[in-house]
Amino acid sequence: METQWPKGVVGATTATIGNIEHRISSQFPSKLLNPTPPKKMAKKVILVTGGSGLVGNGIRIASERDPRDDEQFIFLSSKDADLTDKESTRKVFEKHQPTHVIHLAAKVGGLYGNMKANLEFFRINMAINDNVLSLAKEFKVEKVVSCLSTCIFPDKTTYPIDETMVHNGPPHTSNYGYSYAKRMIDVMNKGYNQQHGCKFTSVIPTNVFGPYDNFNLEESHVIPGLVHKLHVCTQENKPFTVWGTGKARRQFIYSVDLARLFLWVMRSYDEPDPIILSVAEEDEISIKEAAEAVARAYGFTGEWIYDTTRSDGQFKKTACNNKLRKYLPDFKFTPFDEAIKETCDWFSKNYPQNVRL
Amino acid sequence: METQTQTERVLFQVFGVLSIFGKRNRLGLDPPGLRALRRHHRHHREHRTPDLLTVSQASCSTQHLHKMAKKIILVTGGSGLVGNGIRIASERDPRDDEQFIFLSSKDADLTDKESTRKVFEKHQPTHVIHLAAKVGGLYGNMKANLEFFRINMAINDNVLSLAKEFKVEKVVSCLSTCIFPDKTTYPIDETMVHNGPPHTSNYGYSYAKRMIDVMNKGYNQQHGCKFTSVIPTNVFGPHDNFNLEESHVIPGLVHKLHVCTQENKPFTVWGTGKARRQFIYSVDLARLFLWVMRSYDEPEPIILSVAEEAEISIKEAAEAVARGYGFTGEWIYDTTRSDGQFKKTACNDKLRKYLPDFKFTPFDEAIKETCDWFSKNYPDNVRL
Repeated sequence: METQWPKGVVGATTATIGNIEHRISSQFPSKLLNPTPPKKMAKKVILVTGGSGLVGNGIRIASERDPRDDEQFIFLSSKDADLTDKESTRKVFEKHQPTHVIHLAAKVGGLYGNMKANLEFFRINMAINDNVLSLAKEFKVEKVVSCLSTCIFPDKTTYPIDETMVHNGPPHTSNYGYSYAKRMIDVMNKGYNQQHGCKFTSVIPTNVFGPYDNFNLEESHVIPGLVHKLHVCTQENKPFTVWGTGKARRQFIYSVDLARLFLWVMRSYDEPDPIILSVAEEDEISIKEAAEAVARAYGFTGEWIYDTTRSDGQFKKTACNNKLRKYLPDFKFTPFDEAIKETCDWFSKNYPQNVRL
Repeated sequence: METQTQTERVLFQVFGVLSIFGKRNRLGLDPPGLRALRRHHRHHREHRTPDLLTVSQASCSTQHLHKMAKKIILVTGGSGLVGNGIRIASERDPRDDEQFIFLSSKDADLTDKESTRKVFEKHQPTHVIHLAAKVGGLYGNMKANLEFFRINMAINDNVLSLAKEFKVEKVVSCLSTCIFPDKTTYPIDETMVHNGPPHTSNYGYSYAKRMIDVMNKGYNQQHGCKFTSVIPTNVFGPHDNFNLEESHVIPGLVHKLHVCTQENKPFTVWGTGKARRQFIYSVDLARLFLWVMRSYDEPEPIILSVAEEAEISIKEAAEAVARGYGFTGEWIYDTTRSDGQFKKTACNDKLRKYLPDFKFTPFDEAIKETCDWFSKNYPDNVRL
């Protein structure tokens, strides 16, 4: 196997042999002076696309709580590059020379945002994903972990869903654009692995929530929508409206837990096939139960309304986390009420100036 | 009736005659009609009449203007098997309101958006028949699924997004029965395209083609675009790719049997010969393509194929080609070579609902025409 010289390691630039000082190119440290560096020194330069979002911030928090000496994180946001543009994306790869990529950047939206613009959700995400993966191959990135979602699974399916079922039928009509674009990440991961031996893989989280989410009521996912509404309704003593019947069911995963699992995947999971990152099937709850947890966190005691003219989306998307449990039988998730309380506290402290609305 | 300008009188006389042959379009001055008129006036500056539009909207001669409205039909992949079929079919049955432009890879790199844009700017198409793709037989695909996916995704996204930008009235893209789910019931029909993963041998090509259908729906829902697609079964005919490493089944058999007949060598069939296919002659497919472009308005795809009963084995296809050449030598089956999918039987009920009387060229006749073309053009004018 070829010796891989780690990027960015500063080697000796001169060597004195006898009385003569020889200049050594920093690109090729002499083996006489620098025997093969121990692997532990090899630093991972981890580029996190979509680094300013919900999951990106979760990874930042998780890496700060448990830092490793051989890991350097670079969190990108849309200010740093337009990932739909190849040259803009290339500049980022050239600048940072990543060894690893955690690819979270995507055009996302809740149910209502998707329903209106499936074509855009498809095209924008296809462009982003193709640029990131093709440049990762070009720059010989060792590992790319992309992010899929349980919402991309077939609409007509048996439950619980597992990793082998992603492509087994058409997705729900509400977000087929987003769903197909995400599915094509898995198709490309397989292609890159088969043709070039690239270690490109993906994870499938269920519904994520936590601080730094998008809390805009027209675009948000379920829990940030509830948090925002209940914050306002508690403050202003107004009735609280749940969109939909409240009966749809979801497995929720706290962003910081997801982040810890993401880091484990990046370090230790070597299959090109995706892995579901989720709480157990028994921990699935209804939107009503989720709303009640948020209401408890705010101490809301006012009136409740269900706006049943609003769509529920898919009734359920129950996912099986057996594959995860096979690898990590002892992983502990943050209890739901505790995670909701942390999220609501963060929202209250940061609303409205430092919250994405 | 309003006073007509000299120009209008000339136009209406000329096109009034031709209007007998043209199809009656919907009322209202549609953009192609306007474009044609503007182009006409650019060439005849002395007759420049900005008022023409208001006048013609009021006059009863509006209908003549519609019959004038020329379709400018851009055919991407126009130098290929199906593109040549369309050329032949349009030459055998020309319409006055249809002008065809056949593109080849010399004219543009469709994986590059700006190169593709230049082509749209140059020709200002009103219709697009989108055939261009990176294609290959079974063996070519198996080696390079990633490339087949990425190249075809780039081509398709460029063509469709530019078609929308240039307000193209209709785009007809080309899918294939090989993109259907591998695990499925037979016969397959148009509703089943996305019902499961495709065969592993060509998943890259298959997914890229499926995404055309996804985008067609998206463009239709978000922008009202009339973008649709057809699903042919195995196509064959003149002007195919006859390279033995890359070709599809029938051109491979034609090439090999031509050589084996000439050199009196044993003839080797790759695979067991038992796999089954429905074959459609490129000129028949082209006639159907033109019907879809003119008259089929659903965004959902439509299968263009002979009936289920006309499905044959590779062995039977090889025997027809052998008859085409009068080959009587020895036969060998190289069973180390993959058969690909065992069958892909497609249902053509939707086509038969629209066109109950359409007649396909008999298989032996179409094979004979193909072999004759190959013999006449081999080796200099054949893609090898």
